[in-house]
Amino acid sequence: MIKVDSLVKRYGDLLALDHFNLEIHKGEIFGLLGPNGSGKTTAINCMLSLLKYSKGEIHLFGEPMRCDNYSLKKRIGVVTQNVAVFNELTVVENIEYFCGLYVFNRARLKTLVDDAIAFSGLEDYRKFLPKKLSGGLLRRLNIACGIAHQPELIFLDEPTVAVDPQSRNHILEGIRKLNANGATVVYTSHYMEEVEQLCTRIMIMDKGKAVATGTKEELKAMIRTGEKLTAEVYSLSEPILNEIRNLNGLFHAVYENDLLTARHAAGGNHLALVLDILQRNNVAFRRVTSEPPTLNDVFLEITGKELKD
Amino acid sequence: MFWNIYKKRILISLRDKDILIWAWLFPLMLATLFHFAFANLDASGTLKTIQLGVIDNAAYQQDLNFQNVLESVSGESEDSLFKLWSLKNQEEADDLLENGEIDGYVIYEDMPLLMISTNGLRQTIIKGFLDRYLQTKDSVLRLIEENPEAYLILPELLTPLNYTERILLSNSTQTKTVGYFYALLAMACLYGGFQGLTVISQMQANLSAVGARVTVSSAGRFRLVAYDLLGGLTTHFLQILTLVAYINFALGISFGSQLWFVLFTCLISSLLGISFGAMISATSKLKEQVKIAILIVISNICCFLAGLMIGDINYVVMQKAPVVAWLNPAARISDAFYCLYYYDNYERFFLNIGIIFSMAIAMLVITAFFVRRQEYESL
Ligand SMILES: Nc1ncnc2c1ncn2[C@@H]1O[C@H](COP(=O)(O)OP(=O)(O)O)[C@@H](O)[C@H]1O
Ligand SMILES: [Mg+2]
Repeated sequence: MIKVDSLVKRYGDLLALDHFNLEIHKGEIFGLLGPNGSGKTTAINCMLSLLKYSKGEIHLFGEPMRCDNYSLKKRIGVVTQNVAVFNELTVVENIEYFCGLYVFNRARLKTLVDDAIAFSGLEDYRKFLPKKLSGGLLRRLNIACGIAHQPELIFLDEPTVAVDPQSRNHILEGIRKLNANGATVVYTSHYMEEVEQLCTRIMIMDKGKAVATGTKEELKAMIRTGEKLTAEVYSLSEPILNEIRNLNGLFHAVYENDLLTARHAAGGNHLALVLDILQRNNVAFRRVTSEPPTLNDVFLEITGKELKD
Repeated sequence: MFWNIYKKRILISLRDKDILIWAWLFPLMLATLFHFAFANLDASGTLKTIQLGVIDNAAYQQDLNFQNVLESVSGESEDSLFKLWSLKNQEEADDLLENGEIDGYVIYEDMPLLMISTNGLRQTIIKGFLDRYLQTKDSVLRLIEENPEAYLILPELLTPLNYTERILLSNSTQTKTVGYFYALLAMACLYGGFQGLTVISQMQANLSAVGARVTVSSAGRFRLVAYDLLGGLTTHFLQILTLVAYINFALGISFGSQLWFVLFTCLISSLLGISFGAMISATSKLKEQVKIAILIVISNICCFLAGLMIGDINYVVMQKAPVVAWLNPAARISDAFYCLYYYDNYERFFLNIGIIFSMAIAMLVITAFFVRRQEYESL
């Protein structure tokens, strides 16, 4: 569906994409996850032929993508990172305008517009101007304008930035529906929970490069951390901490602000062993948790920094 | 696709407050202001008859034709162009000129010469009058040389009315003020630039998010922009028509009797305004506010030189810098209206229209060159 080969994009001296490769298959919800400035938008704009690039090849639907390849563009839907609607047009008029760029039959246009309004839950706001809409509703309008013509391939660039939780769930649910109806989705975000919930396959990006690609299970399997342990502990001496650190298969144990955190490989009964050490030394503890790693941990372990803002 | 884009653009442009205020309400308001300002001007008698001295020497006595022409536009009434002062000699004339009792005087030697001490509106009018006279006389003489039989219609050719009725800048209220209103209309047409500017900003990926969104759609580039500009032109043209109707019916300023040509001029001039704004928007990445400022400043300079604030400045520019005058879109537009009102033949009118149209096309070609791009180095 999408194939990108060693794409290089520079803005002057800044290397925004560094031999970037990508392959997306039909039917996927593919997530591009990375912190702000990692090159997600740049990658999408290159795929859409909005940006010129220095090197590399881009194929969509098996055809090379060019800016004047209108028959390819007809099969694509785009939801831009910045809301792109006309401030002077109402909700219906905006959707009509953008859908009308692809669909010329009036009856069909009308059905599609009504579908898009129902899809995005904007029935009560048909005659509203964009400035009267809340942030979440505005994002939903932005999405409706991008997908109304029912494209086979949809790019959504951070569609949930600055959105209330209710609208966010509505949007994520909508994207699943689009996918269920046959659309392939490319989704960018810097919210890992979102990507983890939604996407069938994920690429983690940093500094214009793909850091890791796979399903979330595959990604998590790539790192040493299998389990994360935390416990509230009051006064833990250095020798006891060292004893914990010496446990087999356990690494990265730190004690800070009355909180003990440790990471260890999957399997084994590390939790019991750690608690055993604490008990033996008469160290009081409470609120013990043990959780599987998140994508943030994947990012942290591979790049050495946090994914969160 | 055409109707969808075209209709939406008309809606957008009618709801865009900036456009509405600048391109429509502002000219309407200015027209109203002019109306009251001129009413006062006339009442206070600022624009009185020009005081013109003539040295009554032998040469002047001999040129009966010149005498006739001068006398036909002179008299004691307010409507007369000149009040003639018959003077014995140059000393007397110089005294009067210095005291400011006369605005200038004519001394006839081989031909009439104008003497003035200051350079102003009145002096320009006298000079214009003399130039016209000499030109006409010259062509008549040449005509007779080449076709002696034309001598038979000589009296008609030299009928003084020919000068006064159509060609002269006479001093009546209507003639004084139409120039201002025509220049105002030229300004309103050029302010169509707001439409062109907005359209292009919303179509170019490097200028707005909407532009990027539209560019990645499957709509053909040129068709999309052309339909959109056409929508903007339609709105602007209709706004200009309401302005013309207001100036004509409510303020009583005449545009002559050739309605269709007036409408045609409005249409071509609106096109020029739109193209002007489109070009400003397409050729640079400056902030929208900066572009609007450029648009307003250039339009206003053009309109100033076309006589929006000081009537007859267009006349001075035409004499001192004819190229500037001919290439000034505002001057050409107001002159086109002027021609329709004053001249019976269309030669000069169509010359104006030709210049306006060519400029519009040139600007559209430049715009097209930039709009053609869909891929950018950076957004
Ligand atoms: N128009 C531009 N000019 C110069 N640098 C840019 C431009 N757009 C983006 N960049 C830089 O390119 C990098 C990638 O940006 P972007 O693709 O927007 O990241 P993301 O979408 O992942 O937040 C960033 O370092 C950003 O500063
Ligand atoms: Mg981005």
